[in-house]
Amino acid sequence: MESERINRSPTNLAAKKRSLLTYEGKWGLLLVSPYLIQFIVFVIGPLIASLYFSFSKYDMLNPPQWIGLENYEKLFNEPLFYKSLWNTLYFAILFVPTQAFFALLLAVALNQKIKALKLYRMAHFIPVISSWTVVMYVVDAIFNPRFGFANSFLIKLGLEPQRWLNDEQLVIPLLVLVAVWKGIGYMMVIYLAGLQNVPNELYEAADMDGAGTIKKFSSITLPLISPTTFLVIVLSTITTFQAFEQIYVMTGGATDITAAGGPNNASLVLMLYLYREGFSFLHMGYASAIAWILFTILFILTLLQLWGQKKWVHYQ
Amino acid sequence: MKKKRKFFTAKTIGYIIITISALIMVMPFITALFNSLKTYAEFTAVPPKWIPSVFQWSNYPEVFKLGNFIDYTINSFIVTILSVLGAVISCSMVGYAFARLTFPFKNMLFVMVLGTMMIPPIVVIIPHFMIFQQMNLLDTLTPLWLLECLAQPFGIFLMRQTFLSIPKDYEESSKLDGCNPFQTYWRIFMPMVKPSLATVAIFTFMTKWNEILAPSIYLTSNEKFTLPIGILSLGGQWFGNEQYMVAAALLSLIPILIVFMFAERYFVSNFTNSGIK
Repeated sequence: MESERINRSPTNLAAKKRSLLTYEGKWGLLLVSPYLIQFIVFVIGPLIASLYFSFSKYDMLNPPQWIGLENYEKLFNEPLFYKSLWNTLYFAILFVPTQAFFALLLAVALNQKIKALKLYRMAHFIPVISSWTVVMYVVDAIFNPRFGFANSFLIKLGLEPQRWLNDEQLVIPLLVLVAVWKGIGYMMVIYLAGLQNVPNELYEAADMDGAGTIKKFSSITLPLISPTTFLVIVLSTITTFQAFEQIYVMTGGATDITAAGGPNNASLVLMLYLYREGFSFLHMGYASAIAWILFTILFILTLLQLWGQKKWVHYQ
Repeated sequence: MKKKRKFFTAKTIGYIIITISALIMVMPFITALFNSLKTYAEFTAVPPKWIPSVFQWSNYPEVFKLGNFIDYTINSFIVTILSVLGAVISCSMVGYAFARLTFPFKNMLFVMVLGTMMIPPIVVIIPHFMIFQQMNLLDTLTPLWLLECLAQPFGIFLMRQTFLSIPKDYEESSKLDGCNPFQTYWRIFMPMVKPSLATVAIFTFMTKWNEILAPSIYLTSNEKFTLPIGILSLGGQWFGNEQYMVAAALLSLIPILIVFMFAERYFVSNFTNSGIK
């Protein structure tokens, strides 16, 4: 092997000294080259560019012009920015715990010797594999304000029909409900994997002590799957802050981007605000500033989560 | 023994919960399916009727006649298939190099792969748009599959983990046979990691088939649209015929549904892997 290496290197001494040109080294670099290109051209380059744009005025037609902190100043004085920030937070506060709770409930229900397990699991995966376009039409069958089934049901009960996604108060809760419905199969499977790692002996021991189902759940299952819970919360928080497609599609962004964001911008989230500023109004510098604020928030969240993981996650 | 006499055992409650939940998952799809088989009058009837009085099967052929639905379908397939091929080859190649070869800056580069996973795509999307504008690739399908051919972090990570689990002896014997590292990777190692390749393929298929953000940024001409944004764009055109839109949306679900049925176990293992590791 060693002799082969030396034979194939063009200049033996140089190769040995820097070990850059070893036979295996060359092949290694060649095989990772797709990622190298990706990293240089589509990750590092764009990151630097986008940071630069966030300090510039840029409309894509004229070259970017350095304006210092102006974009950020404008952003921090813009009520719509705070509104979109709050909407994103509100969405996350409703979505993250609801999703985690129901995913765990379903995983616990599924985690026993059940007939047709595969069928049940598949049913929960159909929304996961559907595009938001499909989900929009499926949800519309139920929540269409004019001829949907939800309103016809409310009328039967003698209640007021609702305007659902066109209602300023209801739009975010309804979007959250749909997001939970769509994503729960995914989180359920992650929980199932976590549950299968809990050793059975613990439950047997608890049975001997006469512990009931609820007692067993709260003192064995819950602490032992806390790493999974943590992961589910991390994943869904990050997804929420980057949520775009659902709100874009379900609040009519495809036909009129200024309409996306619901009535009176009630469901304008950060990503949608960014998209609208950047790609409809061509305020690329300003949009880049929003992107960097979002990045900073996600970075802080990640740090908080790493810190939280040390504090309250139990590992076996 | 005592438990058997109780009706509400943990298991029964479990069955009740998942049955209700499975119904909640599936019923809206069935409702939409019925809606897609109604006449417009029935579609908009108040109060709504669940099952159409006459099943309008002709709604489905109608979808192909109106708009650019066939173009959208072809475009979606082009983007998805090229992405899947690109992802499978590039991720396995890069993952192999990280797992089995020694080369300069290896560890540093791998840390960068992990770092890239944390960068929200939105931060780089504006510069990406400009790069493709410079390359004259706006309003073409290329930006949609090109990045997949350059290995995405999740796939690299999954493939690296898989290649790491293979014993060392395989390389030794292939070296004796005079294979270079690429041949070793392609001929000896690739056939051994089929399940992970399937996972990368399916994950890429799902992401690309359903993608909305990137196509809505890069594409402007209607005949270039992929299915998810193409169907949305039909809204104005088919005003007064919304039952066709539902039919179109459900048609776009069929390919991914078929892939899912055949590969359900890879879906599940993929999600659990992505979660735990």
